[in-house]
Amino acid sequence: MAARSETIPVAWKNGRFASWLVTVDHKRIGLLYIGTSLVNFMGGGILALMLRSQLATPNEHVLTKNSYDEVMTMHGTVMIFLVVVPIMAGFANFLVPLMIGARDMAFPRLNAFSYWAFLLGSGVLWMSWFASGGPAKAGWTAYTPLSEAAFEPGHGQDYWILSLHILTIASLAGAINFIVTIHNMRTRGMTWMRLPLFVWAIETYAILLVAVLPALSAGLTLLLLDRQAGTHFFLPSAGGNAILYQHVFWFFGHPEVYIMVLPAMGMISEILPVFSRKPIFGYKAIAFSTIGIAFFSMLVWAHHMFAVGMPIGLDAFFMISSMIIAVPTGIKIFNWLATTWRGNLIFDTPMLFALGFIGLFTMGGLSGIFLAVFPVDWQVTDTYYVVAHFHYVLFGGTMFGIFGGLYYWWPKMFGRLLDERLGKLHFWLLFVGFNMTFLPQHMLGLLGMPRRIWTYHHGGLWEWYNLVSSIGSGITGIAILVFVWNVWQAHVLRRGIRAGNDPWLADTLEWYATSPPPPHNFDSVPYVMSHRPLRDLRRRLAEELP
Amino acid sequence: MPLRVRRKLHVLLFVLIATLATAGAAVAANGGFTPENAHSPNAARINSAYYLILGLTAFIFVVVETALIVFVWKYRSRGRGRDVEGAQVHGHTRLELVWTATPVLILVVIASFVFYKLPGISNVPKASAADRINVTVEGHQYYWLYRYPNGAVSINDLHVPVGKVAYLTIVSGDVDHSYWIPQLGGKTDAIPGRTNHTWFQPDSVGVYQGQCAEFCGLFHEAMLAKVVAESDADYQTYITQTAPATLGKQEWGGACATCHGMKGEGGYGPALDHDPILSNESSLASIVRGGISNGLRQMPAVGNTWTDAQVHVLAAYVAKHVYTGASLGG
Repeated sequence: MAARSETIPVAWKNGRFASWLVTVDHKRIGLLYIGTSLVNFMGGGILALMLRSQLATPNEHVLTKNSYDEVMTMHGTVMIFLVVVPIMAGFANFLVPLMIGARDMAFPRLNAFSYWAFLLGSGVLWMSWFASGGPAKAGWTAYTPLSEAAFEPGHGQDYWILSLHILTIASLAGAINFIVTIHNMRTRGMTWMRLPLFVWAIETYAILLVAVLPALSAGLTLLLLDRQAGTHFFLPSAGGNAILYQHVFWFFGHPEVYIMVLPAMGMISEILPVFSRKPIFGYKAIAFSTIGIAFFSMLVWAHHMFAVGMPIGLDAFFMISSMIIAVPTGIKIFNWLATTWRGNLIFDTPMLFALGFIGLFTMGGLSGIFLAVFPVDWQVTDTYYVVAHFHYVLFGGTMFGIFGGLYYWWPKMFGRLLDERLGKLHFWLLFVGFNMTFLPQHMLGLLGMPRRIWTYHHGGLWEWYNLVSSIGSGITGIAILVFVWNVWQAHVLRRGIRAGNDPWLADTLEWYATSPPPPHNFDSVPYVMSHRPLRDLRRRLAEELP
Repeated sequence: MPLRVRRKLHVLLFVLIATLATAGAAVAANGGFTPENAHSPNAARINSAYYLILGLTAFIFVVVETALIVFVWKYRSRGRGRDVEGAQVHGHTRLELVWTATPVLILVVIASFVFYKLPGISNVPKASAADRINVTVEGHQYYWLYRYPNGAVSINDLHVPVGKVAYLTIVSGDVDHSYWIPQLGGKTDAIPGRTNHTWFQPDSVGVYQGQCAEFCGLFHEAMLAKVVAESDADYQTYITQTAPATLGKQEWGGACATCHGMKGEGGYGPALDHDPILSNESSLASIVRGGISNGLRQMPAVGNTWTDAQVHVLAAYVAKHVYTGASLGG
């Protein structure tokens, strides 16, 4: 047989697993991100169910107080740093080059590095469970001096810092890559005002990450030095300042909320028009409100610290800046509502999640106004009211957006559609379970239940609301299992219907490629004339074919 | 106005009124829909700000959710194909201005009301020295310590004369805590290296419950606080007689028993009823003031701000009520 030398250099790299290890393809990296984040989501969700089991009734002993603090800290850290931020990077990786008509990200190798660094950081955090003294247990905010070596002598806190440092490097590299890609690799005709709104959201997400992650890194480095090198930046007993940590942390921490919410808003802005059979209402208003939110998000951090005893003038400043953010957020909500007005609304699963997002995020936004008003905040801060508020924003908002995005882009990612009936069951179970879990927590906060307590001794309403909340969390868990089953039946049992290029008759360029797209994405890209290039194409074809 | 439109408006109005009535009933029953009933003027003013925001945000909530539900119902596909387009409306500048300006106006109303109420919330009311008591509140892992004007000390339970202004100076001996009695006002953090202040003026005799609201470690949940508002005479009796007489027991109960048990039988921490440290005041003093820091074996320096007199009453209490002699088995 004649030697076929051209097959030799690619031998091991084409292996079923090896090809995923060495890939620099933005789509495969995106799927790795999404898959890893979803596994972390299951882990973080199990932690949440442990917390709710412990709190279901007064004086419960499912967890010890020690392990409750560990589980509570890990749940928050996992969900924020190992689930929401990276899954957005995953969606962005998969979608941005396709949406702007590019063949790959600007720096494919850096992109692969970002993912593997994320996986490493994620592994370090999970493995910290085996550190001496257990994982970190000072809360996901790790306030000083509680997180200092004097009060947290175990190594869990050090691994927590190490993990966040690695994740920060991964996110920074990824963010720079997104910015460079979006600025330089848009196809012909794709001007800034023709950019899909999801890409606008990722541009803003990336700029925010670059702007605020260094603050987190700096704060954590100082904390690490305090713990390991005998410095005392945050130790008042030796002349340090405990509040300084809170300022540095929240300068990162509040924009982080928008880093997690804006991409989900971008997904909603893609899904709503497609399933309303209409253009997005107020494209410019939505794009500019995204930038407005991002800008003001860097000026509101101390509204997390109203109870630390700042001067009233500062309290007033942070109240007003926090209120200002409500305005661009409201603009988005009203524009989304107007997008459905006089539409032809098709209630496929992605649309259900998008509509659920609007309904639930509105609730989270409005409860935020109570927290912005500092005298009211003095009553509700650090209670279950806050827990309810940010879960309405990050679960009712972001996670509903993510599920909508998964159902919407699943056929593009894998070439098969998820089952619609299971998808609708998933949505309704999640909607009911979510509201049962978190609505009563508003009341618990107003009744005086602080967050981060491992048990309580009150009967009456405390007991009832906690019980309802725990039952709701169980329903939420079942909803997630329905999603897992949906994925299983579509792919392992191969019941998923094969999708064509464009099963939803969508508007943006990713639907021009095959499902799943080839490694080089496009053979050719049509010249972009509007922010709905695929609809333009369909109309042109309809005109040409009599 | 055509009849159909008017009927629809009536239905909408009915739904709106029904929603507000339900919300009103829920608020009146106070099942956790509003902050707890206020028993101090600052708490009452915070509650009035809460009600204003609740009213305005409930209005926005009803508008948004009603529009969402109405649009979802009215513009549902009804079997129209996916290729049937809706109205190709790209935007409307005047509408954008309306839904930008209206929230701004609502927020201006809220902010103005808050600034109007603010002096009554954050400024300490002017009161003659006789009508005001100054108390220092120390947050510790895991108890609250109060120092009264006459030097008396109490643990966890703060006694105050009803109707008088209690001016609190809030500090911490170790990590961040937050002092919070919901019926008497908002939270004030106790932060090491900082001195914060708050005040309240209880309007009726009673016991007001609260607990630490800033995560402070393992026993955060056990850091309960109580304000006992009582007549002036009862208050005087408390700080001159009851508090000094019961301080040893309060200290053991608040600072030590959380881990070691009320009888020293042990719990999270080791049993102490046979521990000879309890019989030696100077070693007791050093461990209470310095804590234990031995790798993962830790005991907070619970008494790092205690006076000699405070240590002395604790030693007297444990010698009598906790220590049952050195263990015979060794």
